[in-house]
Amino acid sequence: MTVNKIAYTAFVAFCTVIVTLWAVSALVAETRETDDDQRLFTEQELAAHDSAESCWKAIDGQVYDVTEYIPRHPTSEDVMLEWCGRDATEGWYNKTPGRPHSPRAAAMLEQYRVGQLADAPAPQARPEASAPTREPATHPPGRVLLGLSPGTYLDGRYRGVFSDRGAMQVNIQFDLRDHHFHNVRFRYLSYQGVDYLALEEHEELHAVMRQHRQAIDYLEGRPLSALFDLYAPEEVVEDIDAFTGATLRGNKLISAIRDALNRGVYQWP
Amino acid sequence: MIVAVLLLLPVLVAWPRWWPPPGAGAAEVLSALGHLAGVLGLSALLVGAMLSVRLPGLDRWFGGLPRIWALHRILGFTAFILIMLHVVWLAFGALPNSPEAATQVIFPPLEHGAVWMGWGALALMVIFLAPTFQFFGRPHYQRWKRLHLLSVPAFLLAFAHAVMLVEHALLWWGLAALAVAAVLWRKVLSPRLGRHDYTVEAVTALASNVVEITLAPRGRAMSHAAGQFMYLTPHDPGLEAGRGEEHPYTISSAPGEDVVRVGIKALGDASRALQTVTPGTAVQIEGPYGQFFERREPQRRQLWFGGGIGITPFVSGARALQREPGAGPEVTLIYLANRPDRAYYMDELREIAQGHPHFDAQIHYFQDRGPVDEAFIRAHCPDLAEREIYICGPPGMVHHLMGLLSRAGVPRGRIHTEAFDFL
Repeated sequence: MTVNKIAYTAFVAFCTVIVTLWAVSALVAETRETDDDQRLFTEQELAAHDSAESCWKAIDGQVYDVTEYIPRHPTSEDVMLEWCGRDATEGWYNKTPGRPHSPRAAAMLEQYRVGQLADAPAPQARPEASAPTREPATHPPGRVLLGLSPGTYLDGRYRGVFSDRGAMQVNIQFDLRDHHFHNVRFRYLSYQGVDYLALEEHEELHAVMRQHRQAIDYLEGRPLSALFDLYAPEEVVEDIDAFTGATLRGNKLISAIRDALNRGVYQWP
Repeated sequence: MIVAVLLLLPVLVAWPRWWPPPGAGAAEVLSALGHLAGVLGLSALLVGAMLSVRLPGLDRWFGGLPRIWALHRILGFTAFILIMLHVVWLAFGALPNSPEAATQVIFPPLEHGAVWMGWGALALMVIFLAPTFQFFGRPHYQRWKRLHLLSVPAFLLAFAHAVMLVEHALLWWGLAALAVAAVLWRKVLSPRLGRHDYTVEAVTALASNVVEITLAPRGRAMSHAAGQFMYLTPHDPGLEAGRGEEHPYTISSAPGEDVVRVGIKALGDASRALQTVTPGTAVQIEGPYGQFFERREPQRRQLWFGGGIGITPFVSGARALQREPGAGPEVTLIYLANRPDRAYYMDELREIAQGHPHFDAQIHYFQDRGPVDEAFIRAHCPDLAEREIYICGPPGMVHHLMGLLSRAGVPRGRIHTEAFDFL
């Protein structure tokens, strides 16, 4: 008799838990749909993360940074490392031949998602095709964006940085006079350990550095809202080409400049 | 022991794969527990199915068929609870990632067929277990029995669910094969191969609603020990209910008799219809099962308590004593009846007692004296604390006697009962 009661009670409790879980996840999903930011990555960017130190994988068009998970994966590390820096969809769906990973594994994978793979053709073929479309310039007008910030910036010298993944990439300095840019210059520009400001002219990446300079030269004498034109660097920089176009990141510059504005005046005029 | 091995083997195999490494977070521990609950739940389901084989003789390993039923029931209950925990724990294990991740684990896209098979198995379990655990009151026995067959697709789906998700499934194949073989024997082969053909020779009315049916073998006879029971399937076309259905009845004849006799009280549709079964019609019997007179110490004196139709195993025991006068230990039977016209078999029992030096039969009428008390028992059996005690009767009587005897200082291990109630 007691067994009957326990079975019945457990069943009712079970139904309650499942319904609650489902309801909570439905509610959370609804609120989350609005802030779903999707960074786009090219295959070159993906390929840069091909080791145990930084292992990114693309599965079904989504990019995942699984570096942290490698030591916890049930198989030996080689099995996972084999797929770093490239499209691992095939490995994902063939845990053993013909057998995909479990839904539980899929849920765990989700927490490592860092963005989406850009729908680019093979990089050797036509990289320039991916570059301009990669950062769609559809953003609200500069005035609107600026309106979202406090709005008034005093005249003076400003300094700001953009850092990502534990390393500073951009350090920028400019003077502001009556909400217009003057004397914009880089104090530091680096990516993946390369100090761009120290590059010699004959070096391959020098072109990239040159374009970043063109991007900040564009700001010279322009009003603050022009800053947001850098979301579409291809509109601003003249000599964009296949190679440098893939690497020029105007939004890093925007980020560094907004950091400078937030910090306030560094030096009074 | 065998049951424990079969149950735990899959867990031992799965353990190293799923047991979380030391220092793992609560979520990982929950996920591991979720997997192990699933493994143990499926083993319980498959071993439970194996126990439904009901092979005569095999039940002795477990201390009689009623013990197997109890074990089968506990295994079904355990499987049900563990499988629900399996779902909940796996979902909770993914909860720290996000609530969506948790629902993803248990409600993945449809192409993850294995998980949905698991759900199918659980849904079927709910359907066939709801009446078993009397979620909505006491079920109709035959309907319940037919519905219980859903356990077969349920354990097959659960098995498929597991096999699709694990890499080394050899053990599951073995357990599932045993489970399928057990059900196949029970439902398909045993009605053809396991049953003995008998004819109804006589139907003797003992009291209102109680008859003794005498069955003569038409072919291979069934041999049994005193106190055992069997399944009877009548094929009398004139029966109002229970035609072609099997029901358990206690054998009242002595071992070695040419015929098999069963005492039957009208307790349900089928046993009521049997009160008027036509002599000469065919029946089939399967068995024998049980080991009521399990004699751990054959030389110890015995005290029997029979009440209502629960007197039948003792009738069989008394008839066995009559066939070998002088042998065996001293036996006292106390028949607990409501009033004289309900004391069926009493005349025959008295007669046996008169002709047997070691057998004494006493009657106690509830109508005259109320519930039996220690004084009455001691009056007829002063050394009751020294005896092996056997009880068979309605649950209320068994309960009353158990309390009385333990107060009288009888060790629990010396009291033997077999429950015939719907578990």
